[in-house]
Amino acid sequence: MPSLNLLGQALLAGLFTGGLYALLGLGLSLTWGLLRLINLVNFALAFLGAYLTYQIATTLRLDPFVTLVIVVPAFFAFGVVLQLGFLRFGIHELTSLIVTFGLTVILESLIQWIWTADFRRLETPYARSTLKLGSLFVSVSGLMGFVAAAALALSTWAWLRWSYVGKAVRASAEDGAMAAAFGVDRRRVALLLSGLSAAYAAVAGLFIAMTHTLAPTQIYAWMGVVFAAVIIGRLGNALGLFTAAIAIAASEALTMAVTSPGWAPLVSFTLLIFVLLLRPEL
Amino acid sequence: MLDVDRLEVAYGDAVAIRDVSLVVRERELVTVVGPNGAGKTTLINGLAGLLPTRSGTLRLDGIDLRALPPHHFCRHGIALVPEGRRLFGAMTVEENLEMGCYAAAPRAHRAASLERVYALFPMLRERRRHRAGSLSGGQQQMVAIGRALMARPRLLLLDEPSLGLAPAIADHVFEVVAAIHADGVAVLLVEQNVAQALAIAARAYVLEQGLIVAEGAAAELAQDARIREAYLGRQ
Amino acid sequence: MTRRRTAAALGFVAGGALLALLPALRLPAFYETFLYLVFFWVALATSWNLISGYAGYFSFGHAAFFGTGVYTTATLTSKYSVPFLATLPLAGLVAALIGAGIGVVVFRVRGVRGELFALLTLAITFVLATIVLNTPIDGGPGVFLAAVPVPPWLGSPHATLYLLSVVVALGSVAVAYGVQSSRWGTGLFAIHDDEDVGEVLGVPTYRYKILAFATSSFIAGVVGGIYALFVTYVTVPDVFSIGLAVDAIMMAALGGTRYWFGPALGAAIVSGLTQTLTGGQSAILNRVLIGAILIVVIVFLPDGVAGGLARWRRRRGEAAAPVAVTAVASPARQRPAVDTTLLRCADVRKAFRGLQALSGVTLDARAGEILGLIGPNGSGKSTLINVISGYYRADGGRITFDGREITTVEGHRIAGLGLSRTYQIPRSCRRLTVLDNVALSAMFGAPGLGREAARREARRWLAFAGLETKAAALPAQLNLHERKFLDLARALAAEPRLILLDEVLSGLTPAQMAGALALVRRIRDDGTTVVFVEHIMSAVIDLADRVVVLASGQVLAEGRPRDVMRDPTVIRAYLGRAYA
Repeated sequence: MPSLNLLGQALLAGLFTGGLYALLGLGLSLTWGLLRLINLVNFALAFLGAYLTYQIATTLRLDPFVTLVIVVPAFFAFGVVLQLGFLRFGIHELTSLIVTFGLTVILESLIQWIWTADFRRLETPYARSTLKLGSLFVSVSGLMGFVAAAALALSTWAWLRWSYVGKAVRASAEDGAMAAAFGVDRRRVALLLSGLSAAYAAVAGLFIAMTHTLAPTQIYAWMGVVFAAVIIGRLGNALGLFTAAIAIAASEALTMAVTSPGWAPLVSFTLLIFVLLLRPEL
Repeated sequence: MLDVDRLEVAYGDAVAIRDVSLVVRERELVTVVGPNGAGKTTLINGLAGLLPTRSGTLRLDGIDLRALPPHHFCRHGIALVPEGRRLFGAMTVEENLEMGCYAAAPRAHRAASLERVYALFPMLRERRRHRAGSLSGGQQQMVAIGRALMARPRLLLLDEPSLGLAPAIADHVFEVVAAIHADGVAVLLVEQNVAQALAIAARAYVLEQGLIVAEGAAAELAQDARIREAYLGRQ
Repeated sequence: MTRRRTAAALGFVAGGALLALLPALRLPAFYETFLYLVFFWVALATSWNLISGYAGYFSFGHAAFFGTGVYTTATLTSKYSVPFLATLPLAGLVAALIGAGIGVVVFRVRGVRGELFALLTLAITFVLATIVLNTPIDGGPGVFLAAVPVPPWLGSPHATLYLLSVVVALGSVAVAYGVQSSRWGTGLFAIHDDEDVGEVLGVPTYRYKILAFATSSFIAGVVGGIYALFVTYVTVPDVFSIGLAVDAIMMAALGGTRYWFGPALGAAIVSGLTQTLTGGQSAILNRVLIGAILIVVIVFLPDGVAGGLARWRRRRGEAAAPVAVTAVASPARQRPAVDTTLLRCADVRKAFRGLQALSGVTLDARAGEILGLIGPNGSGKSTLINVISGYYRADGGRITFDGREITTVEGHRIAGLGLSRTYQIPRSCRRLTVLDNVALSAMFGAPGLGREAARREARRWLAFAGLETKAAALPAQLNLHERKFLDLARALAAEPRLILLDEVLSGLTPAQMAGALALVRRIRDDGTTVVFVEHIMSAVIDLADRVVVLASGQVLAEGRPRDVMRDPTVIRAYLGRAYA
């Protein structure tokens, strides 16, 4: 049985990884829950964002946070264009899954073509600095990712809950025709959500670049876990997603500390199975 | 005000409304009655922009509504209380009401409109933070009407508001509709319950299998045998 | 028909034999390798199609079963010295067991459809990969198999592997063809299009899905076993790869998932295409091309190349004959009309979240009569039909049919008891022909016929309903009136003793209505009791022997149509108090 210190350290690592899961899953949860579209491209986009962050920060010697200024609007625009395509061809539900898988493959190839399969590591001062919390070491970049995830999840939830546009989005998801009867432009709502989802992917990419070594094959590695978090947290529920992501990652980390690292993926899958069997309504 | 001429509305494959013409004037309360399956809901949904119309004209104060996208209909003063309420069940009562004045023009008067609706339906004020889906049928009907009122409409479209309600509550609904009309709002009421509809309306149309088979002043039509035939068949 | 099929089968075998003998020609290894790959993909794509294309349960986890096969063979040959050929059926078996196991658990859950199944199968790949990576099965460094002996057929071990791949590929295509031509296949197609309707008609959906998933996994496992010895060195990331699953999906989608030869066609096309782009930069272009093909195909050719071909052929030979309801002698029927009570509802209640839809309905339907069920909107007519047919379960009261209590019998068993229904909005299986839609009933309903016999019966019922010229068409090509009659023919093919018609006349023109009324009368004359819900009063008066009026969830009146229509309480229910 590992020491309390080790468990604590593992838990921290889990929390920070959970933050990344949440960042990756936020856009997916929103579009799946509110637009009934499964946007796999989110993952590839996040990694594209990570690579872009790496490239811009390294070449122009900028602080990685500054790259957001370029990447976020660009991704938002991409999300809008993607949604325009979906609307034009009437793509939804299962078809969107297949189409976005195709796009993922294309994006992954693009990434590999530009940056090759070599590992890339973003060198930033954040990456190496740590804080000390009692006897535990806290990675600064990990903490920042966690805070960013919490902030985004919270603000998204608040936006949906209290702002007029947020209410329009929720109403549109429940009964689009009636929402339109009271003035909600469904098309614009869809474009907005899609753009937001892509923008979230950009933020996820930033933190992935700061905490991980990048390789194109990584794109698929996160899919299973993040989907599990999205489903367990209930679709369209930002806070639910955040909680589920943290819970899954923490369980994984503890499992890894207690047994061996290789068994982590089983945790999310087992949790997912349980949730699905006990409460199958999405 | 509302001018409908030879309208044809299809519901999927079936042409549910063929060649319907009707008129609603300012501040009038007009009712369209007819048996189940006559196409009343299809007609109202076509007028509200929920269903595409196949042919004919649909004008409000001269503006061609058929040329507008669905979410622009409410800009011209039309509000719908649909069949079966169709509330946003997962949202609270107050959020449902707020969605009624989502459009820019009525949104400016949100607070005042909200007060008016709560004054009209005091029991909604008590339940403002409850999930709309958890309310009873009658209460949901109030929310649906309130939601439409929040849009400050000049023309209110009501689709079978008494459906599924106990008689006492249905009576209350008709009183409310009459009161709204008295306030100066034009009303097009589609109803299956003939007696109560004709009691509050000035003029009426009888719809049977997608066609208007009778029209005229409500009081006269109440005595007309054609209504009986429409509902109960030719004897 | 049979002669053509024998000729085709012979050609299949001959072609297979030719391909099999290729190694004897001693061509450069390149050709063998290329063809091996083609057959590899043919088998994978075709096996994937069995569960995903036919049944509509989109699986992203084909790599999991492929990998299972790979590692089963790898482990058995390297660690336990089991002869290679013996490991192949085992590889398939282990994969099939895993697939069946997953299916047993997952298919039971009603909410698991579409997207959810896709994602679950995605996760399975990762889970199995993890297990293999962390246990002595692989442990990390991969498994070396170069030392494993492969019996040399036709001259070299390489030729053996090639031959095995030929056998598996041809075998999988044969299986796909066999499934599609069987009851099982028709059932799978029904599951794909409308699983609820399939269940109501009596299709054993749970069993069929598990069988399809297990068969699909078995083939993938065998392919994996062969692959293990072909490459002689296997690693987890190489084998449990999402890319492999995606490629198989894309090939099947390109070829056409509804057709037994579709995936094979797609595999051949894509293998040929990618052969021209190999190595280095081109490998990446290769991937881009694959992704692009997938997108284009799904958007513009949802039925694939094979589907496009089929559509083109159909358009050339399309009959434009209008459907006339002609009086055709109906199939020989049984029971004479006896004046007994066939269906009885006693004090039936049903509530939905506070709304009491049925508050004690008591009515009878007598054998051989046409009973009309009418009432104002919201009176509970549709609810009653749904409760009788088992779609909803009654909260209280009893329903007996033909002397037997059916209050708690589930929907999918009611059809087998002799009670059929139609739907207000016709629900047909869009990928099955009109003929097969009707045959479904005869296959899985009370008659329980084999496919050919069911099709013969279906033809007779189509003729009865005046739709015989449309037998080969798809439901989407019919207009509303024809689709309603298709719904009717399908309900009749189950040879019910009582049929529930839910607003079968709505949306019809007066001329079409006259034909429909005549048809309903013929149905009764042949011995089937009819209970119909309708709003068009003139039709009710014309058609019904007796009428029951429902209002507010209770029976208000019953009797002969004209009498009931004059009843003051009925008039009041419809028109309001002022009129009575």
